[in-house]
Amino acid sequence: MKKTALCATALICLAGAAVAQETTLTYMLWSTEQAEIEQAAIAEFEAANPGVTVEVQAMPPSDYWPRVSALAASGDLPDVMAMSSGFVQEWAAAGNLMDLTPLIGDTSLEGYFESAVEIGQIDGQQVAFPQNWVAPVLYYNRTAFDAAGLDYPSADWTWDDFRAAAEALTIDADGDGTPEQYGYWVYGRYAHTDPWVFRNGGRFVNEDGTALEINQEAVNAVAFLASIVEDGFAPRPLEQEGIRQQDVFGMGMAAMWVDGSWNIDNSRNLIGDSFEWGIAQVPMGPDATPETGVAYAWADMLAVTTDSEQTDLAWALVQHLTGPTLSAVDFTGGKVPAWTATAMSEEWLGRGQQPDNMELILEIGTQPLYTGFTPNWSAWRGYAAAGSGGLNGELDEVFNGRKSLEDALAAATAYGNDILSR
Amino acid sequence: MSEITSTRAPGPRGRASVSDPAAAPARPRSSLKTWGPALLFLLPAIVGLLVFRLIPIGWAFVLSFTSWRIFDDIEWVGLANYTHILTSPLSREVLGNTLWFTAMYVPGVMVVSVTLAVLLNNSLRSSAFFRGAFFLPYITATVAVTLAWRWIFSTRFGLLNHLLAQVDIDRIAWLADPAWALPAVAIVSVWKDAGFYMILLIAGLQTIDPGVYEAARVDGARTFRRFYAITLPLLSRSLFFVLILALVRSTQTFEITYALTNGGPNRASTTLAFYIYQNAFVHFEMGYASALAYVLCFVIGLITLLNFYLRRRWVHE
Repeated sequence: MKKTALCATALICLAGAAVAQETTLTYMLWSTEQAEIEQAAIAEFEAANPGVTVEVQAMPPSDYWPRVSALAASGDLPDVMAMSSGFVQEWAAAGNLMDLTPLIGDTSLEGYFESAVEIGQIDGQQVAFPQNWVAPVLYYNRTAFDAAGLDYPSADWTWDDFRAAAEALTIDADGDGTPEQYGYWVYGRYAHTDPWVFRNGGRFVNEDGTALEINQEAVNAVAFLASIVEDGFAPRPLEQEGIRQQDVFGMGMAAMWVDGSWNIDNSRNLIGDSFEWGIAQVPMGPDATPETGVAYAWADMLAVTTDSEQTDLAWALVQHLTGPTLSAVDFTGGKVPAWTATAMSEEWLGRGQQPDNMELILEIGTQPLYTGFTPNWSAWRGYAAAGSGGLNGELDEVFNGRKSLEDALAAATAYGNDILSR
Repeated sequence: MSEITSTRAPGPRGRASVSDPAAAPARPRSSLKTWGPALLFLLPAIVGLLVFRLIPIGWAFVLSFTSWRIFDDIEWVGLANYTHILTSPLSREVLGNTLWFTAMYVPGVMVVSVTLAVLLNNSLRSSAFFRGAFFLPYITATVAVTLAWRWIFSTRFGLLNHLLAQVDIDRIAWLADPAWALPAVAIVSVWKDAGFYMILLIAGLQTIDPGVYEAARVDGARTFRRFYAITLPLLSRSLFFVLILALVRSTQTFEITYALTNGGPNRASTTLAFYIYQNAFVHFEMGYASALAYVLCFVIGLITLLNFYLRRRWVHE
């Protein structure tokens, strides 16, 4: 009887030990498509770490941020969470993101785009790690350029060259006062306007991101864009209401357009073989110096949270999902893998597809980058469900010819500083 | 005669007589017996009400005196949120938009729903069809129908501007012009809700005695006179109910704004409910959003009180 009891006790202890070895790592991200892409990589991670199960929860961004915010309030954040460049500062300031520096230790980060890694560094701490990054580029319609007898945009293009091209590409064949093809298309959204501002050495906020201080270079850049609209080389935003902004270029309604490289995928699908197109860097502005004229880019990152009790394992998962495990086909369109070898592969460069010069985006990644993000950026800049207000709304008023640039920027500054001071 | 002094009606509690001391202790037992099962069955609803409604409502009041970005620590700020709301030009602009929307929506929806109700309050077969047709927008998914309206309002390719062009009216940037965006939201809201109010008013119209109309007709009253002198006064109780609903609803408009204009252009169609959503779930300023919600609660309460005060002047009891 005693022997039986001892055996039973031993068995329970063994079972207990086995259960104790079972570990669940929680991981949340804002894209169900991305979760599907990562399925195989996660299975691989589980196979390499026996006893570890990765519990993935994916949802759209509109659900993701309220959900993780509520989890942060209750101290139940997942071990690993997707982190946006736009939110990383405030999440780090709130103490929700673990400093990865001690975990990285002597691990070499040479395989990654250095500038992308730096986006996850806040106050000297590596609070998030890049998985991919994106940058706005100038899309241009080669067929339209050829028809107008123009040279394609080059690295030494000036803003005057751009204006001349926009004028030549604006065509009103039937003379009804509304061009069938505009030379350019712009509105107040961050990805459309800010690349011009930053390439001119402009800044909206002060150096430590605590207040809106719109410098003269930024004012000049917006004034330049407004003059393109005023001269009729780009439509007023109100004329375009009801048309998806990302479809204007693809539908041939504008021969040039600046937006994030992530729209390469949509453009490929929309344009097909209907015309030839390429991408170029946004031209450097006349006020820029080598120090101030920077490229605009930001990263989608992964972070280990301070609620995690298995940080080593969580960091291992981050490394696994940001390194060479994911292949080039897992990064759709113009999302650049943070792992350089994957980014430089023939698959990612999309040989045989338009545009034929995807290397250009990789060149941007080697330059000094600037994101311009601050805490509460979405509020003062006007983004997502707040996209109708902030700087976005004010700039649209300028492009629509309803407000002077001076009044609009003054209103945006007052509103932004109210937000930042709260 | 003196045996039964209680005036209570016979029943589980009424049977007890105050002149019968022996029966007195039985009362609580009897109450528990009666209320116990009822409470048990009500418990899920009570718990649900407490957890998902009453406690959050109370907690939101506490939060309205704090600065709390959900993922950050809570900081007590006293009346700062309320002071900011009262002094901020943006809050005043949003409050102005809300009142302007109410001024368009409430009369609009009242006129349309009364007209529809009067036209369709008959036993014709076609009326049954049209009642259903006009009620349909109310039960259709808001975001889906609003996307259709976005196409109708599109500046260059919209149906509405195409129709206006046929009568030589210049195209209007319905959703991108600050002067037109809020009216556009009001038009869609009236279109969507009028059918619901119409059903309520038809129910009210059917309580009016046809003999009254008959008598008026014999006296020579014409259609408009009958509507003005009979229908409106006798429908006033239903109209009051619809008015209260429409007023409250006008301050809570959210889904149509979200899908149609996103509060734009440049906040021209941002009303209080949408502004609360932006602060709570986009900027995560939960303390500020809670204070705004209590301001909204105060505004609705004030309007409702005013209505009840004015009721005696026009509602036919």
